[in-house]
Amino acid sequence: MSPFALCIATIVALSLLGLPIGHAMIAGSIFYLLLAGQDLSIAAEQLLNGMYTNYVILAVPLFILAAELMNIGSMTERLLRFCDALVGRFRGGLAQVNVVQSVIFAGMSGSAIADAAGTGRMMQAMMTKDGKYPPSFAAALTAVTAVIGPIIPPSIPMVLYALVSDASIGFLFLGGVIPGLLMALAQMSLIGATARRRNFPVEAPVPLRELPGITWRAFPALMMPVVLLGGIYGGATTPTEAAAVAAAYALAISVLLYRSVSLRAFYASLAYSARTTASIGMLIAGALVFNYVVTIENIPESLKVFLSGWDLSPIGFLILVNLILLVLGCLLEGTAILLIVVPVFIPTAKALGIDMVHFGVVVVVNIMLGLITPPYGLLLFVMTNITGVPLRDIVRECMPFLGAMLVALALITFIPELVLWLPRLMGYQG
Amino acid sequence: MLRSLKPLGAWLARRAENVLVLMLGAMFAVFLVQIVFRYVFNFPIGWTHEISVLLWVWLVLFGAAFVTRESDEIRFDIIYGAVGPKARRVMAVLTAVPLIVLYTISLPAMADYVSFMKVERTAYLKLPFNWVYSIYIAFAVAAIVRYLWLCTQALRGKAPEAFDPTKAGSGV
Repeated sequence: MSPFALCIATIVALSLLGLPIGHAMIAGSIFYLLLAGQDLSIAAEQLLNGMYTNYVILAVPLFILAAELMNIGSMTERLLRFCDALVGRFRGGLAQVNVVQSVIFAGMSGSAIADAAGTGRMMQAMMTKDGKYPPSFAAALTAVTAVIGPIIPPSIPMVLYALVSDASIGFLFLGGVIPGLLMALAQMSLIGATARRRNFPVEAPVPLRELPGITWRAFPALMMPVVLLGGIYGGATTPTEAAAVAAAYALAISVLLYRSVSLRAFYASLAYSARTTASIGMLIAGALVFNYVVTIENIPESLKVFLSGWDLSPIGFLILVNLILLVLGCLLEGTAILLIVVPVFIPTAKALGIDMVHFGVVVVVNIMLGLITPPYGLLLFVMTNITGVPLRDIVRECMPFLGAMLVALALITFIPELVLWLPRLMGYQG
Repeated sequence: MLRSLKPLGAWLARRAENVLVLMLGAMFAVFLVQIVFRYVFNFPIGWTHEISVLLWVWLVLFGAAFVTRESDEIRFDIIYGAVGPKARRVMAVLTAVPLIVLYTISLPAMADYVSFMKVERTAYLKLPFNWVYSIYIAFAVAAIVRYLWLCTQALRGKAPEAFDPTKAGSGV
């Protein structure tokens, strides 16, 4: 066996046996350097220089922090009231509320898990009160709608994609807007179509004259996406700085306007964010070392040559990537797929003339769908944990939504303009 | 002896978490200073950039070394989550041994690299890079010690805790 094959075998074996993936990649790469007779210090050099020089990646801890700070304030509650006033009056109103709140949260946080964890409990309580909706449906819906979070900007997975592809974070964020809304539309249509058959309740309509007041109360929170995206596209802040602004804004409105943050809660969200940063950072560190091995072994180029023998069209290649990512999404953690698997496809995608922003959005949508596909679907696990509904029941209720979102994914894959129209409007040359 | 060390360990773990929180808080603050200076006072400053990157490297490696619990870490748990305590003990030994061996073998080379980096200094604060990068050595040594501990625990008959994927923060 070649050193590279042994390296892969080691990483796969260690990961399957339960070693944290970051450690498995570092250990496997050291093993490779040993077998290939290279200087072992290359591992430390790649890891440290990679971490030190990739400035964009600092957006990750700050976006995590922003999402945490948003969840500790009473912002969530006000937003839910606002959504209820907006769409509660339709059949299946609360279900529609769940979708709309996810779209609004998506504009503030870049993490699907944080969205589901932040609103999941409250949404579940609202939807299952007085037996309005089956608990399994409510739990599945919260998992499914949270998928929108990182597709609509800001987005932690898009920052990670930018790290491996060198695509612009600003344009990636813009590219996600229409696909995200399309996902929401797919979900709302499905709810609308089944609401009558399943006899979903209608909420007592909030009188229209109360709407201005409710909107006003939620207004500072609703302004978050404007502050965030306005900062990036107005040229005032880099996307990395925008993440800090988002966190500061969330903290400021929670403290100043809603007066709902204790020092203890602030410490807890910093601590949680710091832990999360360390664990995702380990994965990034491992990927930096492993990607060095992959690069000197020329794997992405070999794949390019290999696939060019198949005479794949760009569409054919995208379909292939979609299928591979969806299957991997059932088994693997999304961040790991983004950092380890996706880089291998990038040279081929470039050679086929696929736009890197389009490719990025397609990849991120795939990764997000992976969060709700069993057996390994993090959002499913989170909702089981929060609600106590058995995983099997949540999965069953998720399936129709997965179908609807696969249709949306197909549209995004086949019609690049859906992704690229908005970035081009803002000056993207591609 | 071991029993008297336990409260000390817990105390150290809490302090380590305090330090980690301070690092993230400082990173957040430094970003805000940077933005305010550039856009309010129209006076771009470079050192903030450097401090925030430095804090990021330390946040990850210090956190991984001294703060993250087993349950925080991202792993592939389809098999790990499905098997019983006995199998988990075997798996713990099978993963710990290669990790300990590989990290230990590579440690001298890593230390050489880090100490060699004293010839370079950071752009603004002129910190020698061997200081900046020294956290890697702490990380590697802590990982070796941690897996030695997990390995002996497993051999003695104590299985590692079952993994809960929802606790591992991956940020997606």
